[in-house]
Amino acid sequence: MRYTFKGGIHVNEHKNTAACRVRLFSSPERVSVPMSQHIGAPCVCLVKKGDKVALGQKIGKVPDGALGAPVHSSISGTVEKIEMKQDARGVLVEYVTIVNDFENTLSPDIEPCRKRLPEISSEEIIERIKEAGIVGMGGAGFPAHAKISSAVGKATTIIINCAECEPYLTANYRLMMERGCDIINGAKILMKALGIRNVIIAVEDNKPLAIKKLSALVESESMIEVITLKTKYPQGDERRLISALTGIELPAGKLPADVGCVIFNAESAAAIYEAFSDGMPSVRRIVTVDGDCVAEPSNVLCPVGTSVGELVAFCGGLVKEPSKIISGGPMMGVSLWSPELPVTKTTSGILLFSEAVSREPEEYSCIRCGRCVRACPSHLMPFGIAAAFKAGRIDEAEMYGASSCVECGCCAFGCPSKIPLVQYIRLAKGEIRKKKAKKQ
Amino acid sequence: MSKVKNAEAKNKAAPYAAAAPITDSSDIEKLEFTDAKAQKDVSEVDSESAAAREGNDAVISDRYSFPRFLRVSPSPHIKSSDTTSKIMLDVFISLIPAFIWGVFVFGPRALVIGALSVASAVLFEYLFCRVRKKKSTVGDLSAAVTGLLLAMNLSSTVPYWIPVVGSFFAVVVVKGLFGGLGKNIVNPALAARVFLFAWPSEMNTFVAPGVHAGIISGSADITASATPLSQIKMDGTLSASLYDLIIGNVGGCIGEVSALFLMIGGAYLLIRRVITWHIPASYIGTVALIALIFPRLEGDLLNNVLTEIFSGGVIICAFFMATDYVTSPITAKGKLIFGAGCGIITMLIRYFGGYSEGASFSVLIMNLLVWYIDKLTMPKHFGVKGGKASVKEK
Repeated sequence: MRYTFKGGIHVNEHKNTAACRVRLFSSPERVSVPMSQHIGAPCVCLVKKGDKVALGQKIGKVPDGALGAPVHSSISGTVEKIEMKQDARGVLVEYVTIVNDFENTLSPDIEPCRKRLPEISSEEIIERIKEAGIVGMGGAGFPAHAKISSAVGKATTIIINCAECEPYLTANYRLMMERGCDIINGAKILMKALGIRNVIIAVEDNKPLAIKKLSALVESESMIEVITLKTKYPQGDERRLISALTGIELPAGKLPADVGCVIFNAESAAAIYEAFSDGMPSVRRIVTVDGDCVAEPSNVLCPVGTSVGELVAFCGGLVKEPSKIISGGPMMGVSLWSPELPVTKTTSGILLFSEAVSREPEEYSCIRCGRCVRACPSHLMPFGIAAAFKAGRIDEAEMYGASSCVECGCCAFGCPSKIPLVQYIRLAKGEIRKKKAKKQ
Repeated sequence: MSKVKNAEAKNKAAPYAAAAPITDSSDIEKLEFTDAKAQKDVSEVDSESAAAREGNDAVISDRYSFPRFLRVSPSPHIKSSDTTSKIMLDVFISLIPAFIWGVFVFGPRALVIGALSVASAVLFEYLFCRVRKKKSTVGDLSAAVTGLLLAMNLSSTVPYWIPVVGSFFAVVVVKGLFGGLGKNIVNPALAARVFLFAWPSEMNTFVAPGVHAGIISGSADITASATPLSQIKMDGTLSASLYDLIIGNVGGCIGEVSALFLMIGGAYLLIRRVITWHIPASYIGTVALIALIFPRLEGDLLNNVLTEIFSGGVIICAFFMATDYVTSPITAKGKLIFGAGCGIITMLIRYFGGYSEGASFSVLIMNLLVWYIDKLTMPKHFGVKGGKASVKEK
C-alpha cells in the first residue's frame, strides 16, 4: 500500500532535469541578498556600502526578541549598494548587493563542529541552527530553530518531506541521489535536538531510485524509515503529508506538533548537517532551472542572491523569449516581474516559459463537471465559492469554506472551462478577511 | 528495500504520529553520523545520471533576451489540456454507435432526422448568440450533443418539423433563456422530448425493426408497431426475446433501442473519465432491485429484471441523460441518491403511470432536485469536526 490523501490531482510531471547532476555555480558577478527571506521580522543590516565581506559572514541579524533567521554573505567581495527594492511579491525589502572578488575568502566565523554526534547537546544544536540562518527551504521559509524549539516535548515523529510533488522541480530528487547521507545526518541531528526516536523519510513513488538509495542508507538504522507515498499533487503540503501518513486531518490553525509531528524539508535537513560538518551557514541552495526557454535545463547549486539572469546565462542562455518567469514550482510558485530578482533561501526552482506556454486561456461558463470538487484536497466546492464571489455573495463563499482553501491550485488546473477558480477564491478570502476586520 | 516493505506492511490503523512514546532515549544518545562512504556503496543506482548531459549541446543563442515586461499572474501557472469542447466531443463520439444502429434498423429516414436535429440545434445556438450580441458558443459543441440526443429520442416516423421545433425548444428555451451552457435547470434534450409530447400521434408512432419509413412519405404508408414496454403495459407479456432487446432488434426511438451499443458508448465515457460510475450504477441498480422485488411479467425473475433494464430508455438515460454534468449532482454521494431517485420514479411510472415509459420524466423530475441534493451532500471540509479523524480540542 502506498500512503496518500483524499483529493489532489495527477499533473504531467515534466521532471526533465531528473537525470541532471547538480552543477556548482560559485562565481556570479554579484549577488543581491534580501534581508527578509523567512517568516518573521526582516533582518537588521550589519554592513555598509564599501565594506569588504567574506563568504559566510553574517550581514543581517535578527532584531532582538523577534522571530527570524540571520542572513549571511553568499560570496566574498565588496558591498556595492544597500537599497530598498520590491521583492517578487511586491513587498519592499532591503537588498545588500555584493560584487564578487572571486577569491572565495572564507569568513573566520565559519568553523565545523568537530564533536561526534553523541557529544553534542540539544541546546548546542538549536543555537548552531539558529546562527546558520536555516529556514524551511521547501518554500514557506519558517525559521528552523523556532520550529525545533516549539516542537520540543510535543512532537514524537520527525517527518522529512522529500515528496517534491510540484512538476518540473527535481532539486530535492538530486539532493537525495547525490547527498542522501546529508539528509539522513541532518535527520539524526534533529533527532538529537528533539529527543525523538522516530523518523519518517517520505518520498513519492515517482522517484524509485531515490527510494532505493535512501532505503539502502538507512538499512542499519532502526529508528529511520523510508516511506513511499503515492505520486499526487499536493502531497508535499504539510497537512496532506500528515493526512497521508497518519490519517489525521489537521485543521487550520493547528500546528503539526499538536498531533505529534514535526516536518522538515529534505534540503533543510541537508543544510542543517552542512552547518555542522562544514560550519557553513545557509548561503546556497539547489535550484532547478527549467522551462522551454532555457538552453540547458539544469540543477544548479548557486549562492543565495544570484540573479535569475545570471543563473539562466549559466544554463546556456535563452533559446526563446520568455514571457513568464516563475520562482518555485508551476503550481504554487510566484511569477517574477524582473530577471534581476535573486534566488533566495526558499527558491526551489526557476522556470522560464514562452508566450505559447504561459498564455492565459479564455474563461468559459462552468459546466458543473465536478472536477474541482474531486480535486480539492481541502474537500471544498471551488466552483461554488467562485460563483458566489462573482455574484458578490461573500457570506455564501464563506459557507462553502473559502477560508479553508490552501491555494494549491488543483481546481484551477483541472477546470475544463479554464475558470481561474483558485484566483477567485483568493479574492473571496480577501473579502472575508476585510469583513471580519470590519466587525471587530 | 526491506525497510520500505516493512513500513508499508504496517497497518494504517496504527498511526505513526500517535505511536512512539519516548520510552528510552539512550539509543538517541548513541546515534552516530552516517559516514559519507556509505553513500558510495549504493552509487550504482545513480548510473542514469552519467548520460544526463550528453547530447545536450543546445545552441546557445544571443538572439533572445529578456523582454522589457514579463507576464505576472497568480499561480497556478499551468493548466490541464482538458476543455469543455473535448468533453462534448467525447459525448458525441460515444453516441455514434447506437445512432448508427438506429439508422441500420430504421432506415435512411433516421439519418435525415439526426442530421436535421443536429444542424438545427447548432443553427439556433448560433442565432441565439447573434441576437444576444454575444460571442458564438457553437464551438463548445454542447448544441451538437443536444441535437443528437434529441434525435436519438425520436421515432423514425416523426415529420421533419418535429426535430427542428424540438431543437429550438432545447437550445433556446431550456438552455439559452436560462443563461446558456451550465445554467439550465433541466436536461435540454429530454425537456424538448417531453415538450414534443404535445403532438402525441406524431411522437408515439413506432415501427417494427427493419421497417423503413420513407424519406419523403414518412409514416404515411407503414404499419405502426408497439414498443416492448407498451406491449408489456397493454398485454402483460412480451413477444421479443431478451437477445432482441439487448442488441436492439425491437421497435422504439432511433437511438434508444440498442442497449448494447449504448453501453459501448457508456463504457467509452467511463474509460475517458468523462462520467463516473455512480449515476449509471445506482440508476440501473435501483431499476433492477424494484424489478426483482415486484416482477410484472410471469416467469423467470432474472429475465424479468433484464427486460426492465434493457427495454425503453433506462440505458440511454442512465449513461447519457442523467449523467449530464449541468443537471446532475456534483458529489459521489449526491450522484448515488440522484440515480436511485431516477430508478424509483422510472419504475413508478412504468407500473402505475399512463405512459408506458417513465425514464425521461424521472430524469427531468430529479433534475429539479439537484440543488437540494448538492446542499445535502456537501463534503466535510478538511479537518472540520465530524470529519473522519479530526483533531480533538485539548
